[in-house]
Amino acid sequence: MIAPRLDVEGLLRGEGLHRVGGGRPLLGRLVLTLALGGALYGGVMGAFGLNAEQALYSAVKVPLLVVVASLVCLPNFWVVNLVLGLGPDFAAAWRGLLSAQATLAVALASLAPVTAFFYASTDSYDFAKLLNFAVFGVATLAAQRTLARHYRPLLARDRRHAVALLAWPALYFFVAGQLAYVLRPFIGNPRFDTTFLREHWWGNVYGDLLWAVRGL
Amino acid sequence: MGKWLTELDQLLRGEHTRKDDLRAGRVGLPARRLAVLGIALGLVYGAGMGLFAATGGREHAWRHLVASAAKLPLLFGLTLLVTFPSLYVFAALANSRLRVRETLRLLVAAITVMLGVLASFAPVTVFFTLSTDSYRFMLLLNVVFCGLAGLVGLGFLFRAVNLVFPDEAGAEEGRRARRIFRVWLLLFGVVGAQMAWILKPFVGNPQLPFAWVRDSRGSSFFEFVLRSITDNWR
Repeated sequence: MIAPRLDVEGLLRGEGLHRVGGGRPLLGRLVLTLALGGALYGGVMGAFGLNAEQALYSAVKVPLLVVVASLVCLPNFWVVNLVLGLGPDFAAAWRGLLSAQATLAVALASLAPVTAFFYASTDSYDFAKLLNFAVFGVATLAAQRTLARHYRPLLARDRRHAVALLAWPALYFFVAGQLAYVLRPFIGNPRFDTTFLREHWWGNVYGDLLWAVRGL
Repeated sequence: MGKWLTELDQLLRGEHTRKDDLRAGRVGLPARRLAVLGIALGLVYGAGMGLFAATGGREHAWRHLVASAAKLPLLFGLTLLVTFPSLYVFAALANSRLRVRETLRLLVAAITVMLGVLASFAPVTVFFTLSTDSYRFMLLLNVVFCGLAGLVGLGFLFRAVNLVFPDEAGAEEGRRARRIFRVWLLLFGVVGAQMAWILKPFVGNPQLPFAWVRDSRGSSFFEFVLRSITDNWR
């Protein structure tokens, strides 16, 4: 089994290899955990209506979404930390963020059976959408646990970490929202053809949202 | 046989889940034996449930009996399979003292308690099956018995969870872990209800032909309950 080698248990509990304040980020382990967990959930997420092709695409796209969104936000996070004078703590902060992303992926994977089960008992695409919103919401909350664990000693050392901790999600969710829009479909509306990306994949989620609000 | 009954007796008396052990985060239950016991108990109650469809001179009488008996343990097993990974991940995040095996053992024990209570109702179900021919009554009776068994199992689990995560030491951690078990129980209930809906029939409507599993796609337990309520109010 690969889970013990990645020390998933330690990640969830903040022990062993993943103990807080353990030095440099375990880049390989965390990214692999993230990729595997995300792929597992993506595979189930795309399997709505037993669409194997979509399942394969989503298995690639879910980890891609998390990794690319993090990479896009990383330089800004670094600068924010430097400006706040938190440079020496950056490795620990980055480690906390990566651990939180990996936790998100593990939580998603653990909820995959629930999603699969509800897919097996409904044909409603709207229900599938709501279910996935809920699953991602719950997994995000789970990730907060890990993030809080890593940030507790940092916050105790310097209150300015609170600013960095606000700056990260603000930018991250802003970027991830747009990226998720570009990478859609994840579930795959059964009425449309299965494609890796939608034909008109470009666009702006926030513009669309604004239009939708105006349309009310 | 006697050995198994002793096992069940010890489980129900809480001898496997002693205070000191649980306090120390130890759950020394013989999980495999309990699982086998649970399956046997489920078979007993499932057969009692299926007896209604098997009597009354209907076609495929035996198949009804076999199907219900097999599906009842399956119902609990599959529900556990679907809900266990997320429970474990969230409990570990809350610093639960129980490791994977211990968490699983505790849940298997709680489910076996439920099935034990159900099996103890089997003679009552059989008695009513033989003395009534109302399908609706039998349905209601079985729902009540399942509800009661669920409550007893819930009590067992909460007693254990409260001992594992006591209030005094690490109050915040304990509270969080208990909350997670409570939310999980809700998920277990929701998935279990829908699982039963997918695996139906258990009692077997006499007006419908035999089926191992009825096609229930596109409908759900919750829709059914909601519709039953609104239809009655109109």
